[in-house]
Amino acid sequence: MDIKELNKTLQFALDEGAQQVRLTYSKSVMNLIGILNGEVDKTAYALDQSLQLQLFVDGRFGTFSSNRLEEKELQAFIRSSIDTVRMLEPDEFRCLPAPERLVKDAVTGKELGLYDPAYETLTSEMRRKMALESCFWPRKSEAENGFTLIAEEGEYSDSLFDSITIDSQGLFARHTESSFEIGYEATVEDAHGNHYSNFWWDAAPLLKDLNIDSCARTACERAAAALFPVDTDSCRTNLIVDSECAGKLVTPLLNALGGFAIQQKNSFLEGKLGQKLFPEFLNITDLPRVAGETGCRLFDSEGVATKDLPIIENGVVKTYFINTYIGRKMGVEPTIEDATRVKLMPVGGYKTQEELLKGIGDGILVTGFNGGNSNAATGNFSYGIEGFLIRGGKKVHPVREMLITGNFISLWNSLIATADDARPCMSKLIPTLAFKDVSFSA
Amino acid sequence: MIQSKNYYLDTFRVSLPMLDAIVAEGLSRGGSYADLYFENTSYGSLLLRDGAVTSGGSHIDFGVGVRVLAGEKTGYAYSESTLQADIMACARAAAQIADGPVEVNPYGTRNPSRGEPNPSADRYPVKNNWREMPMDGFLPFLQALDKDVRSRDTRIRKVIVNLAFSVSDILMYNSARELKYETRPMGSISISAVFEQNGVMENKSVSRSFRCGAEMLTPSLAKELAEEAVKGIDARFDARRSEGGRMSVVMGAGASGILLHEAMGHAFEADFNRKGTSIFAGKMGQKICPAGINIIDDGTIAGNRGAINFDDEGIPGQKTYMVEDGVLTSYLHDRISAAHYGVKPTGNGRRESFRYAPLPRMRATYMESGTAKAQDLIAEVSKGIFVDEFSNGQVQIGEGDFTFYVKSGYLIENGRLTMPVKDINIIGNGPEALADIRGVADDLEIDPGAWTCGKEQSVPVSCGIPTVLIGNLTVGGQ
Repeated sequence: MDIKELNKTLQFALDEGAQQVRLTYSKSVMNLIGILNGEVDKTAYALDQSLQLQLFVDGRFGTFSSNRLEEKELQAFIRSSIDTVRMLEPDEFRCLPAPERLVKDAVTGKELGLYDPAYETLTSEMRRKMALESCFWPRKSEAENGFTLIAEEGEYSDSLFDSITIDSQGLFARHTESSFEIGYEATVEDAHGNHYSNFWWDAAPLLKDLNIDSCARTACERAAAALFPVDTDSCRTNLIVDSECAGKLVTPLLNALGGFAIQQKNSFLEGKLGQKLFPEFLNITDLPRVAGETGCRLFDSEGVATKDLPIIENGVVKTYFINTYIGRKMGVEPTIEDATRVKLMPVGGYKTQEELLKGIGDGILVTGFNGGNSNAATGNFSYGIEGFLIRGGKKVHPVREMLITGNFISLWNSLIATADDARPCMSKLIPTLAFKDVSFSA
Repeated sequence: MIQSKNYYLDTFRVSLPMLDAIVAEGLSRGGSYADLYFENTSYGSLLLRDGAVTSGGSHIDFGVGVRVLAGEKTGYAYSESTLQADIMACARAAAQIADGPVEVNPYGTRNPSRGEPNPSADRYPVKNNWREMPMDGFLPFLQALDKDVRSRDTRIRKVIVNLAFSVSDILMYNSARELKYETRPMGSISISAVFEQNGVMENKSVSRSFRCGAEMLTPSLAKELAEEAVKGIDARFDARRSEGGRMSVVMGAGASGILLHEAMGHAFEADFNRKGTSIFAGKMGQKICPAGINIIDDGTIAGNRGAINFDDEGIPGQKTYMVEDGVLTSYLHDRISAAHYGVKPTGNGRRESFRYAPLPRMRATYMESGTAKAQDLIAEVSKGIFVDEFSNGQVQIGEGDFTFYVKSGYLIENGRLTMPVKDINIIGNGPEALADIRGVADDLEIDPGAWTCGKEQSVPVSCGIPTVLIGNLTVGGQ
């Protein structure tokens, strides 16, 4: 659909009886090449488009979508959708955002520098070559030392995503983003037939920033590093969480700050806005408008302009994520629908994980979580972990079958330092974290 | 639900000669097998929140996936248009996986499933087609359910009721000139309730999901859901984290079967074994758990969320014994892995939608009943945990290590259930746990909840288990 057709569709929905309408048209193209043990194992090509309609009709609201966009079919779908909305119960809190909150600077979709023109020049052969050159399998004997690399499975993929959101009060918001990704999983076997798997990946909006070369080797090294784990007794010790998985401890905080969870009283941070719950040095900020960074957006799904937003500032809970609907329902000012590009500000002056480990001395370095969950209402959690015992700042041996258990508020109050090693390919910029005196079960 | 062949050909605006031409294009670069998967899915949903059904919607997803195999290699492309030119373009893209003729035997001779599959079964007949039911007809059901739940416990602060349904027209065609078609219904309803007691919040969720039409929305289903939504909430408020350590674990019948799905079932999927990554690779025919234990993956339970008439490669649904009398007897196969192992496919080639190539996936996975009594298994334990409800399980296929979060359960002390426990984890190793099963009760339950497996793609599954005693697992507590 072009912009003219999109506007015509919006007008059709209004003519059919909707009082307010928001449309989002998205299209994407994706290429993927899978590698198994040094050979191309699969290829995939995908071309998607869909139209999402949010219809406000007679004080009622519904969300609809279709990928059948031929004019007559789409019009029939819109008529039927409006009929469906009329069957729902009224909801006085539903409406489009106030016009002054809408984004004004997302016109070309490329303002954030997330579109790589190099995407258009890639051919099938170039993709195949990159994928094949990324694998480590032909050189596996370089790494094998007391183990066998028995499987190396990887994927190279790239995609181009483009979306346009318009609404009946004049919103026009476009976002265009290319993405290049490489990921590998390696499985190694020890002399006793035990298998250990691990992965590594990288992603970037610009092809030049994608680290293709070392991904498969890193996956292999991570798998091999898990060989010969030693059962470790239950203990209380320092917890260090690798930046690769540290976001796992931040996500529950963000979820608990979500307006929907707050409104439904299913959040351990309900009623905590403005309170100092965390250490003075804990600062978590949303930085959604940094050009060229993965996941940045100029607007949320309502078309509301994003802006830098302190989430936790000097230990104080500074914001809930409140969209237009939840704001009206709770009688509070809306903020933004969700966090976009969260950054936890480094603490303690350590640059790398190695420096941090030296500074902490003893503990357990967690390199991955294996299952577990948290209770949204209480903040209690229990997670399976894998990683390494640390003594004197050095890895001693891998640990397995261990769990950490606690409550998020008390855990974050035991934060003592971080590295400054957040991975830019991840949606949240969370560095390696170190917590004092955490309970490990084994 | 199966309609006439012409209904499906018309829905996708295709003809048999056109399908032949597309398949031929797919094989034009030397591929050994090609198939087409057409899908037209209508989704609908209604959400009751704060006492009113104020949110709803519908969604249409339409398209075709083209897969070309060159031996065990896969080329895949899809189109959201079923115009011949667009599908041909997909076929050309998928065909590129092959760069010369490749021999493949799509069927071997061994059949790991018991009995012959029934190729004409209809395991999800529909009385009330979701597509033909006006949305407002469902509102009274949701409103009454909300009222019923709230009336059962004064501590309830919030209730959310979510009804979701879908109807998928599916047409498949392949280079063996096999044409399959059917319509797959799915209805799911869930309740999430938040309770408050003395300033402490707790939540409880319950769901039901079936491959059937809107006839599933009966008064008895509503009563069952409402009862379950408030059941056990006293214990949940009283529950504490128990002490951790190595101890016996008794898994309650029914939903605990998710541990079987995650910790064992995935390791039986043949793609992980074909690639050598599964902990069970190379163990076919070996004894992996005590005699008398049978573990099954079953697509033949009528109306079950994991039921299939045939899988997404056109192989008839069947009941596959993965473990029989303690011996590993079959992996779960799609066409690729079946050819690799020289066996017949087991009907496990499944996919989320036309956007994905099929993979070996589970259907309804369960352990058959044993002969013990549940209370006797509990009585055997001097110190351990009884698990009612798990959530958020995860397994590492290579190592076999798993971790499961215990949403609710009880401490077992000297053979009796004592203190309610919650928010703890159980951690172990799949093969070791299987080998350490000390008893299986006679009370198999297949859980009717809305389970979805997320291995690369989301597909509906179900799981079940009788009460089972495992000798030693790590419990993460205080």
